[in-house]
Amino acid sequence: MYEIRFHGRGGQGAVMAAQSLADAAVRSGFHAQAFPYFGAERRGAPVQAYARIDTKKVRTKSQVYNPDLLVIMDESLSELADIAAGLKPDGRVVMNTTKRPEEVDLGKGVDAVCGTVDASALALEVLKMPVVNTSMLGALARVWDVVPLESIVEAIEDRFGEKLGTRAGILNGEAARTAYDSTIIGRTLGRKEYGKLAEWAPAWNEIPIGNSLRSETRDGVAVGPASSSQNLTGRWKWSTPRYDREKCIRCLRCWWSCPDSAVIRLDDDYMRWDMDHCKGCGICADICPVNAIEMVQGAHTW
Amino acid sequence: MVVRTITGDAAVAYAAMLARAEVVPGFPITPQTVIIEQITEFINDGIMDADFIPAESEHSVMSVAVGASAGGVRTFTATSSQGLALMYEMLFAAAPSRLPVVMAVANRSLGAASGIWTEHNDSQPVRESGWLQVYVEDNQEALDMTIQAFRIAEDHRVMLPIMVCLDGFILSHVVEGVDIPEQSLVDSFLPKFVPVNVLDPKDPFMINPVTPPEFATEMRYQQDRAVEGSKLVIAEVDEQYAAVTGRRYGGLFEEYRMEDAEIALVGAGTWTGIAREAVDQLRAEGKKAGLIKLRFMRPFPGEELKRATAGLKGLGVFDRSAAFNGYGPVFTETRNALYGSSVPITDHVAGIGGRDITVDVVREMYDIVERNASGEKVRECTWHGLRGEQR
Repeated sequence: MYEIRFHGRGGQGAVMAAQSLADAAVRSGFHAQAFPYFGAERRGAPVQAYARIDTKKVRTKSQVYNPDLLVIMDESLSELADIAAGLKPDGRVVMNTTKRPEEVDLGKGVDAVCGTVDASALALEVLKMPVVNTSMLGALARVWDVVPLESIVEAIEDRFGEKLGTRAGILNGEAARTAYDSTIIGRTLGRKEYGKLAEWAPAWNEIPIGNSLRSETRDGVAVGPASSSQNLTGRWKWSTPRYDREKCIRCLRCWWSCPDSAVIRLDDDYMRWDMDHCKGCGICADICPVNAIEMVQGAHTW
Repeated sequence: MVVRTITGDAAVAYAAMLARAEVVPGFPITPQTVIIEQITEFINDGIMDADFIPAESEHSVMSVAVGASAGGVRTFTATSSQGLALMYEMLFAAAPSRLPVVMAVANRSLGAASGIWTEHNDSQPVRESGWLQVYVEDNQEALDMTIQAFRIAEDHRVMLPIMVCLDGFILSHVVEGVDIPEQSLVDSFLPKFVPVNVLDPKDPFMINPVTPPEFATEMRYQQDRAVEGSKLVIAEVDEQYAAVTGRRYGGLFEEYRMEDAEIALVGAGTWTGIAREAVDQLRAEGKKAGLIKLRFMRPFPGEELKRATAGLKGLGVFDRSAAFNGYGPVFTETRNALYGSSVPITDHVAGIGGRDITVDVVREMYDIVERNASGEKVRECTWHGLRGEQR
């Protein structure tokens, strides 16, 4: 049985990619299943999707812990966390990047067969939008030949065609073919070490009674089950507010307008941002009457 | 026959279409919503001829379903969790009125510690509502059982509503290859619904009037016998479905590698697919492990389970919901059924609130069953994967 794990950001179509791969596998005579990570999703948030492919019926329903193949649809995700965790020793990697495979670093010990493709540029060129899922499936077929490209293109044309119209289906199939041709195959070289994420895993008798979020907070973030203390929603952002203290008139509008309590009011009524939880929505910049807050492209941590 | 790679929710919607359901009341709730959405698409595309009735709550959904079914038409709906809880009152109207409504329940944890993930604590508590209940393992079975459910429910020896329970997300949102039978094949298997009663203004009568004590006991007993009697119909329908599709599910439960088994687990839902893997691993290691995939909670196959487990040295029960200060519902029912049997039996609670169940977790269960079988003192009820010491 083969297990495939997709890493992307909400909006890139990781779930559709996993479903299309399973569909292609079924068309090629395999048994297959595909599913998203069952959690909250939002555009830009790191998401995962999974597929299993086998010559016999896939019976297990567990999540995927040790993938044979890793599909990384957004390069920046590898900066945030050890997304290659659990990859089998002979596992393979497909990555959306302008880098060559030997420049890809997925952490110490991850030296795997790797295909790289500039799927973002390619999707813009073929589809006129930065949705990379179908390009990534084409690249996948090049790195891993279990499910043939033809079946993948057929599945894409049908699934995307049904959802978005025949022309979109054909274009997405074309994106897969183009990506297949432009994928570079090599090996990754893992060097960097990931820090261990702090985890709150309380025993049953440590859970606050009533499953309550405790009133003591850290930077305005409650600590408890389902709190944001470990769910670093700041990783979702595409743009980052830059605060000019000199211009700030301390009107507090940004502070009470932030939907995520990520604007933190200091004792002197100037502000500071909790970048672990600022999603980069830009409401603070919009509401500021003196343009003391500017949204800057990219995820920054200043 | 055509194999399509679809979600469990879509598989159920296809089944409702192929079964020619005529009225579908609905109210959205995750993870069931896709079923109703897909059905409305079928209706909109003109390939399903049904009235979709968007109601203002699930209580109203079930009220509409009761009314439609009493009007003599094939009725389907779907819900989950709080939606099922809100229907509670009307569930108890559908069953004694002997209305064969088919409802998919995409299992989701109910109540506070709010979650959208799977748990059986929504459907298990309503197993006393008079509805039949079947739990499925994969998307194919979700489709097949939804079609079979109409046939079972509408059989004049049964005339009871039925819930087809599928694990939320683990089935509802997972795509798998599903063989979608031809319409003609389903038509030949599932004849047109022939109601026992049809409310008709031209020929007025009442269904379920106030029933004084002089009649209530008999009415209830009739209901009780209908649930018990459905066992026979379930077995027949399984055979008849196998005859046309080649797919057989075993009726009330399916035995997996039980021929010479010494230790076994019994349980329902998607867990069974993972348990099959565990059984195969244990067998490869020379251990005589088996599995009973429990399909129906109502009718509960008490006598049948007692016979099937008679030769075992140890039996474990899997529960995906807990009864507090007690045991899980499947354990309670199973041990009651096995009263007088000498097989030692343990309860295994896991997968609560959607926590992932792996093959290793199931092997941990078999390990406890094996130790219990050898006379070692083990916990009667183990919560698997629990952080902190159990006491």
